[in-house]
Amino acid sequence: MAYVTAEHLKYKYPGSDALALDDLSFSVEKGELIGIIGKNGSGKSSLCQAIAGLIPSFYKGAYGGRLLLGDLEVRSADADELCSKVGIVFQNPFNQVTGAKLTLYEEIAFGLENMGIPRPEMKERVEAAMAFLHISEYRDRYPFDLSGGQMQRMAIAGILAMRPEIMVLDEPVSQLDPQGRREVFAAVRSLSRQGITIFMAEHNMEQIADFSDRVMLLHAGRLVAMDTPSRLFSRDDLEEYGVCPPVFTRLARALGIRKADGTWPVTLAEAKELLSVHGTAFRGCAHE
Amino acid sequence: MKSISLYEEKGTMLNRTAPESKLCYILAAVAVPALTGNRWAGIAFTVCSLVLLLAGRVLRKALPMAAVSGFVLLTVVVIQGMFRAGNATPVFSAGPVVFYREGLSYALHIVCNIMNILLGFCVLVLTTKPSDLIENLVRRGFSPRFGYVFVSVFQIIPQMTETMSTITDAQRSRGMETEGSLFTRIKAFIPLISPVVMSSLVNTRERALALEARGFASRRKKTFLNEETKTAADRYIQIVCLLMTAAALVWRIAAWLT
Repeated sequence: MAYVTAEHLKYKYPGSDALALDDLSFSVEKGELIGIIGKNGSGKSSLCQAIAGLIPSFYKGAYGGRLLLGDLEVRSADADELCSKVGIVFQNPFNQVTGAKLTLYEEIAFGLENMGIPRPEMKERVEAAMAFLHISEYRDRYPFDLSGGQMQRMAIAGILAMRPEIMVLDEPVSQLDPQGRREVFAAVRSLSRQGITIFMAEHNMEQIADFSDRVMLLHAGRLVAMDTPSRLFSRDDLEEYGVCPPVFTRLARALGIRKADGTWPVTLAEAKELLSVHGTAFRGCAHE
Repeated sequence: MKSISLYEEKGTMLNRTAPESKLCYILAAVAVPALTGNRWAGIAFTVCSLVLLLAGRVLRKALPMAAVSGFVLLTVVVIQGMFRAGNATPVFSAGPVVFYREGLSYALHIVCNIMNILLGFCVLVLTTKPSDLIENLVRRGFSPRFGYVFVSVFQIIPQMTETMSTITDAQRSRGMETEGSLFTRIKAFIPLISPVVMSSLVNTRERALALEARGFASRRKKTFLNEETKTAADRYIQIVCLLMTAAALVWRIAAWLT
């Protein structure tokens, strides 16, 4: 059953002539992990902010259509309803530190204080969020002294502690080193296993292919396609939209190795499996 | 930890005292001498502040702050001692320079008042965590938005300074002269303004979005992770300070009326 539904969603920033979101319609089930791809300016961040309710509450401008999060319509929802329902993590971890708290522990509790959560429950939620993201050992560290990966996990923990049903991640690893990326993606994978509906905008196609249940391809604010990673990355027109398929897909295309259903492999595991099968066949041919 | 706060955790009684009690103390220390016009009241509060700073083990940190204002106070003593209108009774002279009793007495009064106010604020600033102060004020009904602005400044300004030094390094790597004479440094400062201001604006907007996502605009009644900082003596300190201020105010009004 659809949990997040967009019906002809349109949005134009104030002072802009072009639509940032142009007639988007889609539906997502509870617990799905949706990857959002597209080149810069395709509308990924705008869509993330629309799902989180920052469009139209924070950014004004022209808004049309409907976006439903369960039974909550984003346009008419107030800040309290939205915070309880959906959380958003941005790409720059540094700018998500409130600057009002002196320890990671206090920083994670910031949102809960605003929501008026009683102290015992607040402590229990902060402890759980820290444990889930493996940052309990940094609890007394000054937030600005953390590394990028730790800071981003702290930002995710701050949202997670608010127990949202939907999480939106807008290029959460773009400013992190490989170790930091691994930390954040591992956290995202764990969150999706917990049944949280996740939208993740990202440029790293390998990770998107590896993690997503379905992928949305955006171009100039329009939804070009929404499909499984295998089917979406098997499209022949991706270059037109400024998208480069995962390296495993490109390698398989170059070698002409397809899966049984006619799609190309998109993850390392799929490529490895196919290559081992074909490798055996190649070796057989060579022996003959 | 980079923060422009002057607070130092020493684990003393003064650290545990509620910030409101220290605010009440400042109110009394400033208002009582001002309302009564009694120089000895100012001296008594100055001595009291010195004792508190000593007990709070932060006197050494307060001295440089007093020394900075000491230069200004010295000029007050010199100018008032020599040139105040109504100077008539010479106290001492050094060559052509003559200091007068009336001027020195007036200058001493100013010095006492300024030192009293300065040391009173030192008691608050050096022994109170800014976040505790604001948190307690928000509990009493102070706007959380203003509270946030006040507290975040202590942490965000050092981060902006760091950003500025990163941008300076980037400009220097492109051959810009950033060191040398005052003129060279002023010239180097101008091209830094635009990237620093722009990046600060972008960061501020992103931080505002992140705060919004964490319920900052919520209309629910706020709760607090930390328990209120308070000791058994706080109530008495606040009552005594407020009573002293009220008594001084009543005394002043009575003096006007009679």
